[in-house]
Amino acid sequence: MKVALLSESPADEAVLRELVAAVLREPPRFTGAGLRARGWPNVAQVLPAVIRHLHFNTDTDTLVVTVDSDDSVVHVAAHEAPNYFHPQCRLCQLRAVFRQTTKKLPPAHGRARVLRCVGVAVPALEAWLLCGRDPAVTEAAWVEGQASGRAPYSRAELKWRVYGTDRPSLPYEIQRATEEIRRHRSDPRRLEADFPGFGAMARDLRENREMMARGEHLHR
Amino acid sequence: MIASVSFHRFKALRATSLKLAPFNLIIGANGSGKTSLIQAVLRLRSLARLPLSTEGAKAPRKAGGPSIWFRFTAPHADLEARLECVSDVACDLLQVLPPGSSGWPQLQGEIGRIRSYLLDHYAMAGTAPTAPAGDTVLQGNGGNLGAALLSLSERHPADYAALAAETLRLMPEYTGIELGRAADGAVTLGLVLANNEGVVAADSLSQGSLYLLAILVLAFDPAPPTVLCIEEIDRGVHPRLLREIRDAFYRLSYPQSFGLKRAPVQVIATTHSPYLLDLFRDHPEEVVIAQKHGSASVFERLADRADLAELLKEGSLGDMWYSGILGGVPDEQ
Repeated sequence: MKVALLSESPADEAVLRELVAAVLREPPRFTGAGLRARGWPNVAQVLPAVIRHLHFNTDTDTLVVTVDSDDSVVHVAAHEAPNYFHPQCRLCQLRAVFRQTTKKLPPAHGRARVLRCVGVAVPALEAWLLCGRDPAVTEAAWVEGQASGRAPYSRAELKWRVYGTDRPSLPYEIQRATEEIRRHRSDPRRLEADFPGFGAMARDLRENREMMARGEHLHR
Repeated sequence: MIASVSFHRFKALRATSLKLAPFNLIIGANGSGKTSLIQAVLRLRSLARLPLSTEGAKAPRKAGGPSIWFRFTAPHADLEARLECVSDVACDLLQVLPPGSSGWPQLQGEIGRIRSYLLDHYAMAGTAPTAPAGDTVLQGNGGNLGAALLSLSERHPADYAALAAETLRLMPEYTGIELGRAADGAVTLGLVLANNEGVVAADSLSQGSLYLLAILVLAFDPAPPTVLCIEEIDRGVHPRLLREIRDAFYRLSYPQSFGLKRAPVQVIATTHSPYLLDLFRDHPEEVVIAQKHGSASVFERLADRADLAELLKEGSLGDMWYSGILGGVPDEQ
């Protein structure tokens, strides 16, 4: 599977590379240089152009996109209902962008479309990095905090817990992020369970692999 | 080091105050007072070099004329420095309150270590005309970039090695920094291309490469200033490298975050880059907006906006600034 990554920083990209390999249980081929967006809502703004670029100009099979949820509505099981779309849920929004963009595209490079793989880190990628290290950091804890009006932690606190500062240098951020995410390299199920926003991404990846194995992504 | 600055009738800064953080990114329209803030800090440095006993102003000054007040952080929190001006642009009298304070000589020394930069790639691209005789401080326009690097390599090899490693990380097309001396003793600078493809001399390096090198010289300075003022820190640098630029200055302002045990350097930087501003989403307290209304400007801290959290749900800081929602944009007829 040839995978393209759309992320917010080199550190996020390093994490995604590890996670994609962990889910697929094999080192994937990545499409050239990482594609970048400047946070939300820029990700959603550039995503249609990125999809079209990958579709027409590359032989990419899957585009992996992740964003931080920040304080937005967290994706829950109810959002998975057929034809359901929550306008404040970033996972729903990104999936909608994929859907709307790819349905207009003619086949290219022998495949019908670039396959979707979307994840949302709740509330930020550093929460994923703390999975298994700090049992209090889970997507459920964040959702509960949103409901009660008392956030269990802030984005800055998560950074402090991972990096020991909220102003890490980029090389140190990449080093620490890679160290932490590699704990899940052999078995990402804990991360999937504690963070359904990652589980959605992992599910997309596996379904894409199966779809490709069946040849369903090809244009016939 | 500087806790706050208050302006009274100083150029466009007619009546405004600004509390300064360890790192301060000043944004705003052209002519909104960003450079005036830096000029005020430099005027403080210039006047602080003079003995206070000779402070008497020679020119007559009118009552209520321009003045600038500085307050300082601990251990100088009890001191105030007041600059008085004979005109909107010329300040020639420094008063320190309370008079005769025993803390002034130390503060005076710290003020003397303030530095200001407006980097000029044409100046940086030339050979450094003088060989270093001691620790060579980077000049305000970066004109002695080669000499500053050579001095660092000779006198602080560990710091130089760290700078060189960072340079090559940020510009992976190169494998080394080459410093030499021309026949006249001037210092030459070049970057060694990978794959034995030769050396790119300073006068052939890109503007952005020269700016990056100069900023790294500042960031890895073993004897940094107390306050560093620098204009247009994004200049010539690719947007994807702006995070590295921010981090280079964070290395100065927050040394503990980089494992360094030295005093923080207070940084006052200006920019017109929305992309750079985007990087301060998590630290809006570090962003100052110079709000220009007609011919007068005031400073506002971005973090003081009550609706900031709501705004950031809708777009990036850079987009919000460009749109005009945050202010700090040029007037239009």
